[in-house]
Amino acid sequence: MTAAPSAAAEAAAAGQPLADRRTLARLRRIGVKRSRRGRQARLLSASSRTVMWAGLLLGLCVYAAFGLAPAVLNVLFSFTSYSLYPGAPVSWAGLQNYTTMFTSELPGVEPALVATAVFVVAVTVLQNVIALAVAHRLVGDSRWNGFLRLLVFLPIVLGVTIVGSIWLIIFNPTQSPAASLWGLFGANSAFFGSDSLAMPLVIGVQVWQNIGFTAFVFIGALKAINPDIYQAAALDGVSRWTRLRRITWPLLAPAVTVNVLLAVVGSATLYSLIYVLTSGDHGTMTLGMLSFNEAFTNADLGFGAALATMLFAITLIVAVPLMVYLRGRERRLLA
Amino acid sequence: MTTIAGARHAGRAPRSQLLARLVTGAVIAVVFLLPVLYVLMIAFETDSHYASNPMVPPSSLHLQNFSAAWTQGDIGRQLVNTVLYAVVASAVATALALLIAYPLARRLVRGHNLVYGLVAVGLFLPFSIIPLFIEARSLHLFNNTPGYIILHIEPGMPLGVILLTAFITAVPGELDEAAWVDGVSYLKYMSRVIVPLTRPALLITFLYGMLGVWNDIIGPVALLGPTSTNLFPITRGIYNFYSGYQNNYPVFAAAVILASLPLVAVFAGTQRQLIRAAIAGSVKG
Repeated sequence: MTAAPSAAAEAAAAGQPLADRRTLARLRRIGVKRSRRGRQARLLSASSRTVMWAGLLLGLCVYAAFGLAPAVLNVLFSFTSYSLYPGAPVSWAGLQNYTTMFTSELPGVEPALVATAVFVVAVTVLQNVIALAVAHRLVGDSRWNGFLRLLVFLPIVLGVTIVGSIWLIIFNPTQSPAASLWGLFGANSAFFGSDSLAMPLVIGVQVWQNIGFTAFVFIGALKAINPDIYQAAALDGVSRWTRLRRITWPLLAPAVTVNVLLAVVGSATLYSLIYVLTSGDHGTMTLGMLSFNEAFTNADLGFGAALATMLFAITLIVAVPLMVYLRGRERRLLA
Repeated sequence: MTTIAGARHAGRAPRSQLLARLVTGAVIAVVFLLPVLYVLMIAFETDSHYASNPMVPPSSLHLQNFSAAWTQGDIGRQLVNTVLYAVVASAVATALALLIAYPLARRLVRGHNLVYGLVAVGLFLPFSIIPLFIEARSLHLFNNTPGYIILHIEPGMPLGVILLTAFITAVPGELDEAAWVDGVSYLKYMSRVIVPLTRPALLITFLYGMLGVWNDIIGPVALLGPTSTNLFPITRGIYNFYSGYQNNYPVFAAAVILASLPLVAVFAGTQRQLIRAAIAGSVKG
């Protein structure tokens, strides 16, 4: 979606001018393309051409087998009674997994839908608002800012297991900074083991871990704004607040689109941090986590696949209109 | 005119604004550094000191936590496993991405746009662990080293193909023609010309692929057997360590620090590239 143009920007940033793409496109339009491809391909020796095809097909096979196929098979398996136990008979279950889901014979789907909604909305809003503030603060290229950027990026490098462990230590219910803080008010809590606090804490850690990416996309967008615009506005005596609202905010619209969509899709489908922190207990069982648990704890791969399929469908149903809306918003703001 | 107005504007950045910048900077530093420093601190505490005064820094450094974590957690073996999985899987992913990207970027195959779209969509497909597990079991990739590596190649590929296609497009096609007229073979041309010219994209593909494999926790739980501790990567080791040693936080903290050190070292060496790629928005979170 947005990756290709930014990759080109990356190429440009790396000091490699993009080959004159526009000229190439023009040549192609007037029919140079076909002769070009023909000539290039003919220049390759027969053996080189074989090697090229072999490499391409090998790569595409790996991608198809472990990238595309699982996505398709997921839907297929959701109509079976596949079991975790090897050798157990597999049979078509038709729509049974789905009817189970909706008739609530199995408790947990409805609370999971609610938990997912809470998690996705809270993470998306907090992550974007805080990241925007952080980006606004760290956009300048001072030495101190460079250091702060490293700190903000560190949780991404450390990954969910280490990040989760750090926060499990800090919110250890008996001896920890959090326990001491609660103790000051004569209170105590099980934190990640508490039905009321587990969800807010998991949301907080998820935001803490991913703020770097979101902030850096905003930083990239802020850096791309031509400083002359601000200078002209300042000359005209436009106030700081108005400049922020009328210049910065509209020009950030494409970055908002990317960040909101990535946060929605990421928080809806990823559950690895939840797995580390709570395993989905204490009200943190989102749909993704429930799908994993049904498959690998309750040994019902078919039902797990059905839950994953439903999650994917819901994510699409939410993300596609959201994308259309955000793109429209970009056009409105930038008009 | 400009300078006067500019100077007045700069002069208007008053002390309160400077103070605000200082405070917000300090808040960011505290929020992101303090949790890590706290874990580092208690990793050097004795168990009794931690039990009585969890918030007070130790008076002397207690190094035994690290040796205890190293032996009890089997961290050495897990780190070796992790490096093997992450480096091999990501190197293969990067190489395959290059082999896909080149013919697509040069439009040497029919339907290159369609193929590019199919690969790029991989960035947005959910990580489907259940069908991957079923595939792994039927293809004998479950619970063994080569299988674990093969299953972890694909996630690094879409980003690589996207980045490399953009980079290769920037390499003038005349270079190809000159080389091929001279009869240079395809693979030699790749390694001698394309690889050096696309090094930044290759590095970013490799690094993000490596971090993805390194930090995976769902894969190690689903694709390795519960008793195959000799195959565990560090993430599953740390995860199990927490469940096993919950009552000894200083040793657990030492294990977390030991597991973080290689990542911090990689980060220290490559932060410029990693952060530049993130700012360019070319990697997803």
